Amino acid sequence: MKPIGLVIPVALGLIWEGAVQYGVASGRLMPPPSLLLHATVALARSGELWSHVTATMARIGLGFLFGAAAGTAMGVLNGASPFMRQLLDPTIQALRAIPSLAWVPLFILWLGIFETSKLALIAMGVFFPVYLGVLSAIQGVDRKLIEVGRVFGLTPMGIALRITGPAVLPAWIAALRTGLGLGFMFVVAAELMGASEGLGYLLLDGQQMGRADSILVAMIVFALLGKACDSILVAIGVPLLRWQDTVRARL
Amino acid sequence: MTQLSISHVGKTYADGTEALRDIQVRANEGEIVAILGGSGCGKTTLLRLVAGLDTPSAGTIAVGGETIAGTHPAISAVFQEPRLLPWLKVGANIAFGGQRLEATERQRRAEALIERIGLAGYGGRWPRDLSGGQSQRVAIARALIGHPGVLLLDEPFSALDPFTRSSLHELVLGLWAELKPTILMVTHDVDEAVTLADRIVVMKPRPGRVHESMTVDLPRPRDRLTSAFEMMKRRVLRTIDRSLDAERPPAARPAGPGGASPWL
Ligand SMILES: Nc1ncnc2c1ncn2[C@@H]1O[C@H](COP(=O)(O)OP(=O)(O)OP(=O)(O)O)[C@@H](O)[C@H]1O
Ligand SMILES: [Mg+2]
Repeated sequence: MKPIGLVIPVALGLIWEGAVQYGVASGRLMPPPSLLLHATVALARSGELWSHVTATMARIGLGFLFGAAAGTAMGVLNGASPFMRQLLDPTIQALRAIPSLAWVPLFILWLGIFETSKLALIAMGVFFPVYLGVLSAIQGVDRKLIEVGRVFGLTPMGIALRITGPAVLPAWIAALRTGLGLGFMFVVAAELMGASEGLGYLLLDGQQMGRADSILVAMIVFALLGKACDSILVAIGVPLLRWQDTVRARL
Repeated sequence: MTQLSISHVGKTYADGTEALRDIQVRANEGEIVAILGGSGCGKTTLLRLVAGLDTPSAGTIAVGGETIAGTHPAISAVFQEPRLLPWLKVGANIAFGGQRLEATERQRRAEALIERIGLAGYGGRWPRDLSGGQSQRVAIARALIGHPGVLLLDEPFSALDPFTRSSLHELVLGLWAELKPTILMVTHDVDEAVTLADRIVVMKPRPGRVHESMTVDLPRPRDRLTSAFEMMKRRVLRTIDRSLDAERPPAARPAGPGGASPWL
């Protein structure tokens, strides 16, 4: 990013700061940067911020793990076996047609209001993009490269590991990133539907107490965490994808 | 013992296309046989059958007396495109062809071959950084690292410029002289067939059949500028002419023996 990208946010922050300082605006519904900083420091000092962050990250982490593992496994299974694809894919596509949030009441009914239903929701959000990404990548592997594997004597397992695997890797990482993004979306939904801690709870609490500053702090922390997690995925991916001509364009 | 024999091979695809009918080709040990034919006469189909990538609908293919069913350790191939694995560096791509070799031997041969194909120092590069000719050199090295008894070449030079093509002809002939694989190659370039082959099999299309097989009796190394080379080329061209004539209804055939083919 070039420094020029900072001009607008910094200018807006300064203008708003000035407007509140000189009494043009009250800053109650839209606190200026100095107040946000103050609120963040206070939340961090009391340890409250960390407990919210860990609660949210634990949910995302577990939900992402389950969703990504299930999505990958199902994508590999259906990509490897036309029979399994014909058997399972229509059902998965039908389930995908249901907007994920519509599952919330059922999940709460089945799994209770606590962690299990939240994890299920997040995992489901992660599952679909990962499944679709892996399946379509496997189906899109260049048949000509598979033939190279066959001519040089690889077994079907060897072809899966040494040709299909590396060929699918870029799309897999891209699918995981999409899944992670959806995971963040669904953790907010899950925490809004009732939680006693977590950044989503901080959002809800801020709304009920009329504390625009906690809401904004939660939003900013969400953005930072999301970006950090995505960067970790990219950092894991880059050394594995150095062979691509487009590594920078894609990640 | 790596003589290749293709007997009475036919191939009809699932959609009903009859690509090959009753093909008989034999390549003796260490011989270079070129299959010459126009587009769509089943050349690629034939090589895919020999490579074991597809199964014949009729007939058998045998290597060293052993009928093949599927891919065979003694048979290796260079395709029309280099088909390097983009996630392996050049050295690893060459080594990939030596799946059946023991690791240190594979490494040793890969290093020797990189030098041999004129790409010393390129072992650590990605395939994306190679030119078309360099990629095809790597593909040739990959195909030969396992010292195959039979090497299949499916027009591997057709996408290259004439300069690069001649230098690759030299490379293939040099490696052939060292390793003596039986080579079955496909081409639609008469010059290339006469330069490389001991025998030329001219095919005709719809369905693909053998029209005629002829021996190229020129000493190696071959000089394109000699009259013997020219004569051989002319003989091949005449055969192609006749194969095209045979395809046309009698009324459309050019009158008289001297009628020049409009196709050549
Ligand atoms: N998988 C397939 N299914 C159905 N028909 C096919 C298939 N592959 C090839 N054919 C048909 O078989 C015939 C021979 O094709 P082939 O690719 O072997 O020709 P070729 O001699 O290699 O041509 P070219 O010089 O253009 O590469 C063609 O009519 C082609 O359409
Ligand atoms: Mg072809």
